[in-house]
Amino acid sequence: MFSKLALKNVRRSVTDYGVWFLTIAFGVCLFYVFNALETQTVLRFLAQHPKTNIVEAIRELIGMLSVFVWAILAFLILYASGFLVRRRKSELGTYLLLGMERWQVARLLLTETVCIGAVAMGLGLALGILAAWGLSAFTAGFFAVPMTFFTFSVSVPALVKTALAFAAIFLLVMVYHVFAVSRCRLIDLMQAGRVNQELRRRSLGASVALFLAGAALLVIAYAMLLTRGLLRVDALFWVMIALGSLGTLLFFRSLSGFLLHVCRSSRGLWYKRLNFFVLRQFNARINTTYRSMTVICLMLLLALGITASSVGLNNTVGQMAEQLNPRDAQLMFWSETAASQPDLPAILKEGGFDVGTACSAWASFPVYGGGLISQSSLDMLAARFGPEEAADFLGREALSVQPDGELGEAGFWYFLADYAGDRNAAEEAFQQALSGLAGLGDYVWSSRLQSWLDLMGTKVLVLFIGLYLGVVFLLASAAVLALQQLTQAADAVGQYQVLSLLGASAKMRGRAADAQVFLAFFLPLSLALVHAAVGITAANAVIAQVGKVDAAASSAVTALLLAVVYGGYFLATCWGSRRILRTSR
Amino acid sequence: MEPILHVEHLVREYGGRCSLTRAIDDVSFSVERGEFVGIMGASGSGKSTLLNCVSTIDTPTSGRIFVEGREVTGLKPGEIARFRRERLGFVFQDCNLLDTLTAFENIALALTIRGTNPGLVEKKVRETAELLEISDCMDKYPYQMSGGQRQRTAAARAIVTNPALVLADEPTGALDSKSAKLLLDRFEALNRRRAATILMVTHDAFTASYCHRILFLQDGTVLTQLERGAKSRRDFFRQIIGVVTRLGGDQSDVL
Repeated sequence: MFSKLALKNVRRSVTDYGVWFLTIAFGVCLFYVFNALETQTVLRFLAQHPKTNIVEAIRELIGMLSVFVWAILAFLILYASGFLVRRRKSELGTYLLLGMERWQVARLLLTETVCIGAVAMGLGLALGILAAWGLSAFTAGFFAVPMTFFTFSVSVPALVKTALAFAAIFLLVMVYHVFAVSRCRLIDLMQAGRVNQELRRRSLGASVALFLAGAALLVIAYAMLLTRGLLRVDALFWVMIALGSLGTLLFFRSLSGFLLHVCRSSRGLWYKRLNFFVLRQFNARINTTYRSMTVICLMLLLALGITASSVGLNNTVGQMAEQLNPRDAQLMFWSETAASQPDLPAILKEGGFDVGTACSAWASFPVYGGGLISQSSLDMLAARFGPEEAADFLGREALSVQPDGELGEAGFWYFLADYAGDRNAAEEAFQQALSGLAGLGDYVWSSRLQSWLDLMGTKVLVLFIGLYLGVVFLLASAAVLALQQLTQAADAVGQYQVLSLLGASAKMRGRAADAQVFLAFFLPLSLALVHAAVGITAANAVIAQVGKVDAAASSAVTALLLAVVYGGYFLATCWGSRRILRTSR
Repeated sequence: MEPILHVEHLVREYGGRCSLTRAIDDVSFSVERGEFVGIMGASGSGKSTLLNCVSTIDTPTSGRIFVEGREVTGLKPGEIARFRRERLGFVFQDCNLLDTLTAFENIALALTIRGTNPGLVEKKVRETAELLEISDCMDKYPYQMSGGQRQRTAAARAIVTNPALVLADEPTGALDSKSAKLLLDRFEALNRRRAATILMVTHDAFTASYCHRILFLQDGTVLTQLERGAKSRRDFFRQIIGVVTRLGGDQSDVL
């Protein structure tokens, strides 16, 4: 009996459940993609090289971050559940009025939740597998990885983890439902349809004062950020964050009175079609929702800041690979015991790395006390790698030149080489040959391939995690806004019916509904964009210390992401609220 | 002269093939310009359905409705909106004011939806408010006003656009007798001073006694009509009570 009722309910309130369904499906999809990172072509390629432990590091970081992401998703889904219960209060009241027990109502909701949740999870996982595959192809292109590593695969551990994570969220939802049903009184449920809008009016003077105070706080916070830099985390840093948040709060708090008075002073604007209706509706709500606007503005700031910085850092890291290691291999050897000059090429040849055949160019020379090399060594470098590279080498290793014969005891020895032929094979031979040096003294070595792999790992880490967190924050704020707007649209159905009776055409009403959604979406965004511009300037100052900053590319990627995710949610919300507010005649 | 409203053989059926209900069964009548017409009947007599059909909220099954010579049955959605904002004014039992707007703005809304020149809006609203004696509560929100003030605000909203026809559905239904009397006095003033044509649905004999003419509806048909003529309102009220008692009597005879 109850399962039948539950199924019927689901079918009947399919539009209400639509939002919930989409939120879960998206959440599942994102969570799977994040946790299935090991199926990514780039990571499999990096894992091929046993010397890099970056893959393990990435996995660990993802494990930690996914807890954080889980918390955001849980919050989002609980918020969506609250929306559902709110929408159906009078229906739940009817059940209680007919004599159903509270636990029976809770069980009814539970059955509905499980039905929808199971389908949404299935869809979300399917979407996630496809998205992971698509992302894999996309990023493989990004990182110039051979296509042999590109296959379609499904990560079973990620599937299990996702399923468990969302089962836990559903459990929370059930607890919430039981709580919501047991807490509510019948009288409230029955009267839920009546909108009790609380209007708090403020004088223009107070609004202006609040607005100016908010703006002043923001300017102070901006100035602190730009002069102090992003990375100095001390007491003042938290003061700065607090000032910025408080400024944002005051900005939105004063905005209602401000906006209304400004628009009201222009009679042509105020009395044009539904303009003052839209502003009044918005104003009546902003008094109660300015807090949520502040939270959304700050979440958008995080989303934009993280995305832009990670793309910027990613580009800079790419440039660093060349700068760090201009030679294919570089070896530095020193020894306490060996008094005589070690013949590095000979030792390497003994170990299986023949400099004559494996290298296109190589050089081996000593460095004397105080970082000096002989003029003849420099000439050799210039002859083999070019004069420019010889000069660069001196600069990079902080060495200076002395004429031959005026040098003391050799402190350590360098070996530089460019591989000939297959780089991977040469690198392997070189690494094996290095073991021959172990008995003779100490050494450090680096190679371009090694640095490249390390940097690629960093690149993957920065880009994936940055983009992922950016998307999660963006999605969360857009979804909260969408739910909020749809709830408010549902509350405003009666008012739009009156508009229809007064002869406002469907087009006019649709535009009014859109205008309300637009204000809700783009007011927080506009302030977040200003915040983000300042924040990204500060972040770029940090990135600029390690390399060149490509601000255009990072802005473009961020804008694209914003347009797709936020713009998509905006359009969907407009459509949804128009649908809710559509009256038959 | 052409009547403002002309209803011809109106039929409205509800339900499917097996359980057909005729809410309105072949009703015809006309309302002349400047008339104040009441429709009376017990609940379920079809009076609200009739009003809904006239106001284009409901579509009749058959029959035709003309407003100022123009047929309104079968208008397209866009034309319906235009028809409503240019020809009709509504007053409902639960007044239907918007909670987020002040009384002034509620009245102004009807004008701005029509696209009235913004410069004229304030003047027109003030004039209408004066006529309905609500000038002192223009800056109040609906929940800060009394029921009578709310209903008069709704009436002001209905007539501020000078509509051809004002439709009132039980306007005094939620009011106490004093507020009801005040509202009806204002309706009468509107009718006289602005020559507003009013079609009012009610089940209350006192409310109906303000009308010039009353149609009595029972089971979807017009049973009888009463004209006030030169009679005083008190005499007219007695006459209405007489008809209502007779109608009631008919019903109890059947039972």
